[in-house]
Amino acid sequence: MRKRRESFGSRAFDVFNILIMIFILVVVLYPILNIIATSLSSARYIASGSVTIWPKGFTLQAYTDVFKDPYIFKGYVNSIIYAVGSTGIMLLFTSLMAYPLTIPEFAGKKFITVFLAITMFFSGGLIPTYLLIRSLHLLDTVWVMILPGAVGAYNVFLFRTFFMNIPSELKDSARIDGANDLIVLFRIVLPLSKALLATFALFGLVGSWNSWFEAMIYLQSQDKYPLQMVLRNYLFSLDTNAIQGRVGAGNVAINAPGESLDPKAVRMSVIVITMFPIMLIYPFFQKHFTRGILIGSIKG
Amino acid sequence: MVLPGFLTLLVFHYFPMYGILVAFKDYSAVQGIWNSPWVGFKYFNTFFHDPMAYRVLRNTLLLGIYSLIWSFPAPIILALLFNELRNKYFKKFVQTVSYFPHFISVVIVAGMLKEFTARDGLFNQILAFFGKEPIMFLLEPEYFRTIFIASGIWQGVGFGTIIYLAAMSGIDPTLYDVAEVDGAGRWKKVVHITWPCIRPTTIILLIFSIGGILGTDFQKIILLYSPETYSVADVIGSYVYRQGILGAQYEYTTAIGLFMSVVSFIILYIANWVSRKVSETSLF
Repeated sequence: MRKRRESFGSRAFDVFNILIMIFILVVVLYPILNIIATSLSSARYIASGSVTIWPKGFTLQAYTDVFKDPYIFKGYVNSIIYAVGSTGIMLLFTSLMAYPLTIPEFAGKKFITVFLAITMFFSGGLIPTYLLIRSLHLLDTVWVMILPGAVGAYNVFLFRTFFMNIPSELKDSARIDGANDLIVLFRIVLPLSKALLATFALFGLVGSWNSWFEAMIYLQSQDKYPLQMVLRNYLFSLDTNAIQGRVGAGNVAINAPGESLDPKAVRMSVIVITMFPIMLIYPFFQKHFTRGILIGSIKG
Repeated sequence: MVLPGFLTLLVFHYFPMYGILVAFKDYSAVQGIWNSPWVGFKYFNTFFHDPMAYRVLRNTLLLGIYSLIWSFPAPIILALLFNELRNKYFKKFVQTVSYFPHFISVVIVAGMLKEFTARDGLFNQILAFFGKEPIMFLLEPEYFRTIFIASGIWQGVGFGTIIYLAAMSGIDPTLYDVAEVDGAGRWKKVVHITWPCIRPTTIILLIFSIGGILGTDFQKIILLYSPETYSVADVIGSYVYRQGILGAQYEYTTAIGLFMSVVSFIILYIANWVSRKVSETSLF
């Protein structure tokens, strides 16, 4: 239903709106493209500040140098372990907890619901959690990166809502055939919840991949650092004090950068390496997360 | 079946709640939480007499208020603008791009800020272009809040539109058609149809935002601040982190944490109450 004649004001607004959108595109894309371009440029052009969104004096040296740092590779492996581990446990535990809440005969339903809801409103806070982790001797272990955040009440409730919408005839007929609840969950409910699981898996993987604070407070040995912590050391190592600016290019944790290599290119290449998996899955991911949010907005 | 989840919650959510008792004790790891001696409100008193308390409270509150003023309305405005775009593909493209920063880690965002505000960074190149002296943005207290809030908008504004766009997509299109027959222009349609339809969503999110006003994103602060900018950047979260984790003052920082949780809950409760009276929308 197109209007016969657009008013001048309406068309002026369209132009204005498109300009705003172009501004947004530039503000979002420029920094990202600039980082990628800088990581691929040679020192001469970086120092003169002429690199914008396209590499100048193309070189892969920053990357070849960075990959010589064993902690980058270790960080990658660790991040993958933590992301896959925490997401896998999250999906498993959350499903196991959510499914019984959809069974009318389950006696502990009310108790579990309240038990979950309380954690949405109250928490121990940073320090008591830290003390607990310490007293459980989980400091500096792989588990601390995988277990503590595995179950969230909010996720359990979303899973429950989703499971409830699965036609109960399917579950009932399986039960009549003698399937127990675990079989019903794994053979019927979960296969019908692929969209839900994919959405939460992606959110879980990305969330875990991007987290660093837990690693900083709970992990001590560099061997266990996820990539984000390695990145942090590259970007921020010595300098919380004033080195920035005075030293300009800053501080790189690797030795002997070659003539054509700018420390800035090294830092940018580590950013790109860290961001790469996210960029890779983003096109697939972005279909899912709208749905993720919408599943969330059904309730509340 | 619920057992693995139940135990995880019990251990990692309920045990720390019990651990809050540390705030009222002189904690010694050897004696454990229960056997450590009670000291009542000693550590709360310490906080009220801590010269730093005023600073971190003020910084937390100011950053919270500024982000409420700037970061909260931004996605609503952007969603309304998205909604007015005529070309479906262009709209989809801008949306997809604008969501992306939400998935960039805090470390990368902070790192980008550091690079772009450095002496040879983008912002100083722009200043130099206009013949201005370079500014060490991250070392100057007066710029910290702007950098923090602006980068927060950069990170979250696109993604924040999703929920409003979802609310808008639920609007019955015949409403717009009828309004058009009545001679309403685009602005009138936004004011009288779109806005009233997304208002409940807005209010709910506003209550959450007000309730979270003290919950500054201190991870980004820890990455960005330095002793030079502590005067404006040090917030409750970062102070608790420094004194608690780095300084091992567990009782004191637990007390601060508990105090802030209680205050936050009161703020949330008041916001909810006001909203229920004024707009008849509320969380509980």
